[in-house]
Amino acid sequence: MSRPPELSRRDLLHSAAGLGLAPLLGARSGTHHTPRAKRVIYLHMVGAPSHLDLFEPKPELTKRDGQLCPEEFFAGKQLAFIRERPNLLGTPTADRRYAFTRCGESGAPISNLLPNLQRMADRLAFVRTLHTDHFNHAPAQLYQLTGFERFGRPSLGAWVNHGLGTSNPDLPGFVVLITGQILGAGNSAWGAGFLPSDLQGVEFRSQGEPVLFLENPAGMSRGERTATVETIASLNESRRQRVGHPSIDARSFQYRLAHRMQDAVPELVDLGSEPEDVLELYGARPGKSSFANHCLMARRLVERGVRFVQLFDQGWDHHSGVFGNLERKAKQVDRPIAALLMDLERRGLLEETLVVWATEFGRTPMGQGTDGNGKRSAIGRDHHKEAFTIWLAGGGVNAGHSVGETDELGYGIGLDPVHVHDLNATILHLLGIDHERLTYRYQGRHFRLTDVHGRVVPGLLA
Amino acid sequence: MLPATLSLFLAALPTGQTPDFAREVRPILAEHCYACHGPDGAARKGGLRLDDPEGIDRIREGDRLSSRIDSPHPDEVMPPPETKNPLSDEEKATLRAWVTAGAPTARHWAFVAPTRPTHAGGLSRIDELVRARLEGTGLAPAEEAEPAVLLRRLHLDLVGLPPSPEEVDLFVEAHRSAPDQAVEEVTDSLLASPAFGEHWARPWLDLARYADSNGYQADQLRPSWAFRDWVIRSINANQPFDEFTIDQLAGDLLPDPSLDQRIATGFHRAAPCNVEAGVHPEENRTLQVMDRVNTTSTVWLGLTMECAQCHDHKYDPFTTREYYELYAYFNRTPLEVELPSGTTDVSHDFVGPYMDLPLGEGLAAERARLVERREDLEQAREQRIRSGLQPWTVRAREALTGAPLWQVLTPTSFDTGGGGETRLLEDGSTLLTGAVPDRAVYTIEIQLGDRPLSMVRLEALTHEELPGRGPGRGDPERRNFVLNEVEVLIDGQTVGLGEPMASFEQSGWPASGAVDGDLDTGWAIAPRFGESHELSLALEEPKHGSRLTIVLHQNYGQGRVIGRLRVSGSNASPDLRGIGDTERELILGQTAPVESDGDPLEAAFARVDGEVRELDGELAEVRGALDRIRPDRTLVMREEASPRTTHVLERGHYLSPGEPVEPGTPAALHAPGSEAPANRLGLARWIVDPANPLTARVVVNRWWAELFGSGLVETAEDFGLQSTPPSHPELLDWLALELVESGWDRKHLLRSIVTSATYRQDSRIDGAGLALDPKNRLLARGPRVRLSAETLRDQALAASGLLSSERFGPPVMPYQPPGVWRAVGRGAPTWNEARDEQRYRRGIYVVWRRAAPYPSFVTFDAPDRASCTVSRSRTNTPLQALALLNDPVQLEAALALADRSLSDEPGDPLRHIFRRVLVRDPEQSELELLAELREDRLADYRREPARADALIEGVRGVFEPTCADAPLLAACFHVAHVVLNLDEAVTKE
Repeated sequence: MSRPPELSRRDLLHSAAGLGLAPLLGARSGTHHTPRAKRVIYLHMVGAPSHLDLFEPKPELTKRDGQLCPEEFFAGKQLAFIRERPNLLGTPTADRRYAFTRCGESGAPISNLLPNLQRMADRLAFVRTLHTDHFNHAPAQLYQLTGFERFGRPSLGAWVNHGLGTSNPDLPGFVVLITGQILGAGNSAWGAGFLPSDLQGVEFRSQGEPVLFLENPAGMSRGERTATVETIASLNESRRQRVGHPSIDARSFQYRLAHRMQDAVPELVDLGSEPEDVLELYGARPGKSSFANHCLMARRLVERGVRFVQLFDQGWDHHSGVFGNLERKAKQVDRPIAALLMDLERRGLLEETLVVWATEFGRTPMGQGTDGNGKRSAIGRDHHKEAFTIWLAGGGVNAGHSVGETDELGYGIGLDPVHVHDLNATILHLLGIDHERLTYRYQGRHFRLTDVHGRVVPGLLA
Repeated sequence: MLPATLSLFLAALPTGQTPDFAREVRPILAEHCYACHGPDGAARKGGLRLDDPEGIDRIREGDRLSSRIDSPHPDEVMPPPETKNPLSDEEKATLRAWVTAGAPTARHWAFVAPTRPTHAGGLSRIDELVRARLEGTGLAPAEEAEPAVLLRRLHLDLVGLPPSPEEVDLFVEAHRSAPDQAVEEVTDSLLASPAFGEHWARPWLDLARYADSNGYQADQLRPSWAFRDWVIRSINANQPFDEFTIDQLAGDLLPDPSLDQRIATGFHRAAPCNVEAGVHPEENRTLQVMDRVNTTSTVWLGLTMECAQCHDHKYDPFTTREYYELYAYFNRTPLEVELPSGTTDVSHDFVGPYMDLPLGEGLAAERARLVERREDLEQAREQRIRSGLQPWTVRAREALTGAPLWQVLTPTSFDTGGGGETRLLEDGSTLLTGAVPDRAVYTIEIQLGDRPLSMVRLEALTHEELPGRGPGRGDPERRNFVLNEVEVLIDGQTVGLGEPMASFEQSGWPASGAVDGDLDTGWAIAPRFGESHELSLALEEPKHGSRLTIVLHQNYGQGRVIGRLRVSGSNASPDLRGIGDTERELILGQTAPVESDGDPLEAAFARVDGEVRELDGELAEVRGALDRIRPDRTLVMREEASPRTTHVLERGHYLSPGEPVEPGTPAALHAPGSEAPANRLGLARWIVDPANPLTARVVVNRWWAELFGSGLVETAEDFGLQSTPPSHPELLDWLALELVESGWDRKHLLRSIVTSATYRQDSRIDGAGLALDPKNRLLARGPRVRLSAETLRDQALAASGLLSSERFGPPVMPYQPPGVWRAVGRGAPTWNEARDEQRYRRGIYVVWRRAAPYPSFVTFDAPDRASCTVSRSRTNTPLQALALLNDPVQLEAALALADRSLSDEPGDPLRHIFRRVLVRDPEQSELELLAELREDRLADYRREPARADALIEGVRGVFEPTCADAPLLAACFHVAHVVLNLDEAVTKE
């Protein structure tokens, strides 16, 4: 069988102009200034971990544990679950497991629930005063990740993909890894909104095929598939000669790329090829579905040039049993996250990779649920949008510093509030993008990730 | 940089001419100036307004414009540098030329009613206008497409399915002698096909953000498929578009609305709904009302009203107040979520208004049958009671005149099965005290007298010493017991037991469970705690003996065991079991025959008579089946009786009401009729008022885009000042007027377009086309567009013969890879893959879940339908290649197509496969490539037939091939698979 000559990259760029192929082959709108980071790994803890018990020690809250909360924490406030004026709930720091340690040269306080992350404290830049406008999960997730609380807007990853394109045309520019169930915002959390839909995130799955429809059907060999793809390309080429449309070449290109992905993706997701000590570092186990595996996968993805890797980890919505549940969840993520930072660093990747650890909102300093029966293990924390903690690490980040201060009970902001739009503006800034200029015209408007808001947070920049 | 097409328009403009205000100047002003000098009063700088003639007068005087746009001073130059939106040199030149010419202005074209262009005759008006636009561009209209290609285009565009080879032959033949007539005839027959509505409903459902789930956290399913079916039926019936509009926006407000008119209002119930814990029902309602305003405005007016939600519109002449005046029309709907009553759960229930649908034919017949059966059974029961009660009463009187019915049998020993103590009480019952066992087996020994034993009664009695008075021992709250099995032995021999009878049975724990030999079933009494209960057991036949042994198995756990037990025996006939104290007195005092209903004697008789019990059993089944026949429901709009006051909401927030407003339409558009009611019906009529300059244009533009891949106005979602000007303004006006004047006749308009020479052109592109008009804005060739996600599925199923012809009804679940549906929350649905014909239904019927839509659709650019979508992207990605190569529905279809080509038809199977998908005849070179593939595969499979079997098994899904030659079938599968994956197959040429 005759093989048509492989198209050159330049031919493709030429023929693909305006045909939806551009994002696979290079930048769309490009950078506005010198980027400090070239790619992003975004770790989203779905459900909102209790920042107060992980990163934000409040001795006063612990001291006043069990006292009725100040009137102004409750009166006229909207709370998701709490319906009666609640008591304050302090971190039980008397129990060594829940105590905080001031870590590294920066002295950043990190809970003993995160012993591995404690060792990486000097790589982290904390935002202690992030605040959002929504206190229900799905709207807050949409707000955090698309800048808008309802459906229909592009996600952060899609915007970055739109702005920068991918640097590896054999892989999607935006990959999503989900541990546990899908979050409430659903596909929209990594959707393309009104941007071209090839900018949306592609889920790499840990159960079944890593990418939907990646595997040939049972009974079909690789060689047979090659013959199929090449016959398709030959027939396409004959049609193109007749009808002239260059988009036909783009189709054949995608078929060949898909065929290459059939080899590249299984190799990429096969953690079995990692040395034992790396697996051990992350706590990853090949073939299993876990957050640890996904962290290791994230490194493999950015290593191969994927622009934006978004991890979701389900199970942080601790309305009850917050301390026990937090200990359990912390155990699942502490080692893999620390390993990811360490591994990126020793490979020289951290310098140009922005790592974001975030969530959709925080949790209340007030307790939710009764501990009247002495069942302290059952008490939880409600949703809290007034102030919460997230951190950044890697490319261009002011590591070892933190932005903002909350009040003594951790309810409101004392100093330097950072809005969700500010965080997104800063993330884009680190990638060399001016959030006011990364726009897309739709319905007669130049839409932005940050709507008409957002300012870069100087304290987060190195 | 200017897009290629725009530079083409500019190039077509003779140099030195005054720039056209509407087409060239206003877009620049809108883009660069209106944010500060536009309709938004609050944001306006220097009191200068460039979107109205007075403001333009100000800059015209003394040409203050040029000096500002060319100013070298950052403080002075316009637009200011901080807006990061500078003018290009070309734009500056255009503005200068315009001011030099005296800055002439005109109203925005889309806000002025369309006018009918004059017609020279000869060509169709569409063709005339398209050709006029081509003059002087260097492009010439293309020839007509080859007939088979044209037929495929017509089929895919009108019904979304490929023509059969027989239809192709007929058409090609007819086309040879009379092309126009052939095209017109096939167009008419396709417009009359029921598949037409299934295809054209899809873009409307994108606009309507129709889905089968709520959206947000748990994303539960909800019933509104009747609305989807209504859209299909309405389009098939060619309901005039103005009525189609009124029914959806306000069908419920029409006088005496029909069922269909109420179903149609499901359009605006398609707004997503958040039932997440912590949602404020009023906030949810506010967001839904905003969604309705914004969707209405996008769908019918092509306007982005949502920009005016928080501040006056930046570009278009609409104020925030006007936004809330529109909002007021929709602000009379009830809350759609509420906290479930009687629970402390804070998740919400989705409660918005539903309507019952009439039962389908099948169900209606089933219900009639059951009702008849119920009446028969009730009659038979009554007869049995009439004939049986009297003799039974007589027998009972005889039996009761002697000894009492039951005699208490005092145990000689009571073995608790380990632990605890027993205490015999005066009434012959045994009380169990001491340690409570988790589970227990009681063994009771009793000395019998000389009379035969026919029945045994076990009483579980209350007692002050039992937790919560019993009768169970385990828990003061739940004082239940579970009697899993009763054994009765006489002189060590097990005796058979008939049907038991209990004073009360817990749901799911009937008395029969205690005598069925199964230790997992049993008799229990929740929630009737704190009361005594009894169980009577009839021996299969009366028995003599000296020693009675009763064994009670109670192995539920958690101390669910009886706390006080009394055993009695009787030698009476078992059908007298139902006689208690009341009945006893009645029977003994009774002289007159029993007649009245509700008589306790009658009830007692019914409890024990075998025949009545059997009838009652069947009656219960029939009544249950009747209960289960529930009508389907659908979501509809409902107006609250008492009007709400609508306020401007500050920053769009539901807790920040500002000044009150009344329903009203924007002043920049036509005025409503003086008699229009101030409700949704008035709004709907205002929208389809022929004086409305927007609706007809917006609608025909979207239809045009469905056929040509792009609208005459490229920004189909926006006709405001920021929109792209129409490529063919006169054609747009002609189409709009034709729609209105034909009585809003959709089929007429589509027919006019697809029978035009413009539509029928060959779609191939040449060097001139590539250089001058790659996007085909000027229509010098036919459309060439990738098929939609749904059409790709339907085409494969139709070509293979698998496609189900079933229409309408609840959404279907074909194959979907596992793990796609795993959202969180209460009531999250599960995917049940259809293994029958349902898996081959058209794409329009596939369930649409917003958080996780059907993955192959998402891959091919389908939206999540959580918000209104005017046009889908058309991307080309490797994931699409993977989906077409490996999605089981595609593989199943390829196998069925191969099978069909081998078994149904004589001749070359490769040609059949090719024509079923691509419609046209293959070229010789194409056939050779396909034949080579088949021969290569066939040679392999002949050598190793087991591999052919393995492949067929791997791709067949539930399809059963008829071809017995597996190697040949497998080899042809590869060919069919290739053909379904060709660029030409996924494209309308």
